[in-house]
Amino acid sequence: MTAVLPRLHGDTDTWTIGAPRLLAGLATAPVLDHRAHVTVHGQLPPTGLEHLLALLDAARLTGRGGAGFPLAAKLRGLVGRRPTVVVNGSESEPASFKDRVLLRRTPHLVLDGAIAVGDSVGARRVVVAVHDPQAAAAVRAAVAQRRDAGRVRVEIIDGGFVAGEARALVRALAGGPALPPGRHQHLTEQGVLVANAETFAQTAVLLRLGARRFAETGTTNEPGTALLTIGGAVDRPGVVEVPLGTPLGIVLQAAGAVDPHAIVAGGYHGSWLAPRADVLVSRAGLAAAGATLGAGVLYVVDGYTCALGELARVAGWLADESAGQCGPCRFGLPALAADVDALYRGDTSGLSRAVRHAGAVEGRGACKHPDGAARFVTSGLHLLREEIERHAHGGCGRPVMGRLPIGGAR
Amino acid sequence: MKLEIDWTRCDGHGLCAVLLPGHVRLDEWGFPILPEQEFEPGELHAVRRAVAACPALALRVNASRSARPAARPA
Repeated sequence: MTAVLPRLHGDTDTWTIGAPRLLAGLATAPVLDHRAHVTVHGQLPPTGLEHLLALLDAARLTGRGGAGFPLAAKLRGLVGRRPTVVVNGSESEPASFKDRVLLRRTPHLVLDGAIAVGDSVGARRVVVAVHDPQAAAAVRAAVAQRRDAGRVRVEIIDGGFVAGEARALVRALAGGPALPPGRHQHLTEQGVLVANAETFAQTAVLLRLGARRFAETGTTNEPGTALLTIGGAVDRPGVVEVPLGTPLGIVLQAAGAVDPHAIVAGGYHGSWLAPRADVLVSRAGLAAAGATLGAGVLYVVDGYTCALGELARVAGWLADESAGQCGPCRFGLPALAADVDALYRGDTSGLSRAVRHAGAVEGRGACKHPDGAARFVTSGLHLLREEIERHAHGGCGRPVMGRLPIGGAR
Repeated sequence: MKLEIDWTRCDGHGLCAVLLPGHVRLDEWGFPILPEQEFEPGELHAVRRAVAACPALALRVNASRSARPAARPA
């Protein structure tokens, strides 16, 4: 299977639908230092825990790392007098770039939110964890420009896809392996609060706007904006800020989607979905369409590429990214990838095997990697059933263009 | 009472399936498929025997009625 690697950008474009909040100031400046940050966003008002919780409740702010858990609930579940706050900027998802854009270009917004949260719970320290050296450098430079960042540390963590999982990350920060632990322990019960970089940036916006103004965009149940990483067969790829609830058709049109046949939504633990214009880009909207907003990834697969080959390529990557700790995942994901490969080569017996293997790995591991991979593959096989037929009868005649990225530096 | 597994320890020895034949099956790679339902109180002895027999110490008994806590974040 030949593949053409996607063009790698040094700088990722950012654009918005509607007024920018997180991306404010970035249309004209490559990076906002502290002075520019305060000019664009204004001073950050002081806050306490009660006030912060009230704002988070009113704004129904959910996490932006993929799981969508309410930040207020994490804060309430946090035990211990001197907890640790971790900004998860690891962004191991290959198709996602939003967190790196925030950390590289508007780090003060992330720091505003993280420091405010840390101060409200009396945190011993605030750790910004990243894989990307550029992001680390940018955040360290930003920390040096501030007077309130004495307890902020920036750590570069190695590791692949599963290393970005919150519990794996915390283990790595403590000097252990970047692997999810085998026992189910809640981080908040250990006095650690981990949240995605964008979640902290949204918190900083909320603190400045207040709940009412924050909710002037978005939907009733999901106020505010979300950052998306848009890519694949589009004229205007990049990190894009949109009001929650924007119809998918508007987003695809604004992105200049070229002949969309399928959308990969959420990331590689997300779902394939048909490019219906009326699907709303929100947690609820995508869930209603049988998909997920996840980490805000929206990739367009067009009619020029072999979509089944794209799916097979990512299925192979997902298998490679298994930590290898847990038998069902370690054996099941390669089996699942082989099944998709078989379908690509026209062997339809791969379909029943794929369904069986996807079902066999769910819930049988230390983390949700097998579950996410199974979901990604089965949603793809369902959407691409006509493609599967074509391959069974001689092939679709298209090369695998590599619309879905699987690693490499950016 | 539910049987819980630390998947990072399980090596697919399969003793649990031998000792709890009506409840634990093995998948095609030799790893246990644990039952969804709770065990009966009278089965506690057999369950404990399986836990003790696991060479990888991968099993434990969760004695509470609702074995998994309600959905919480990581």
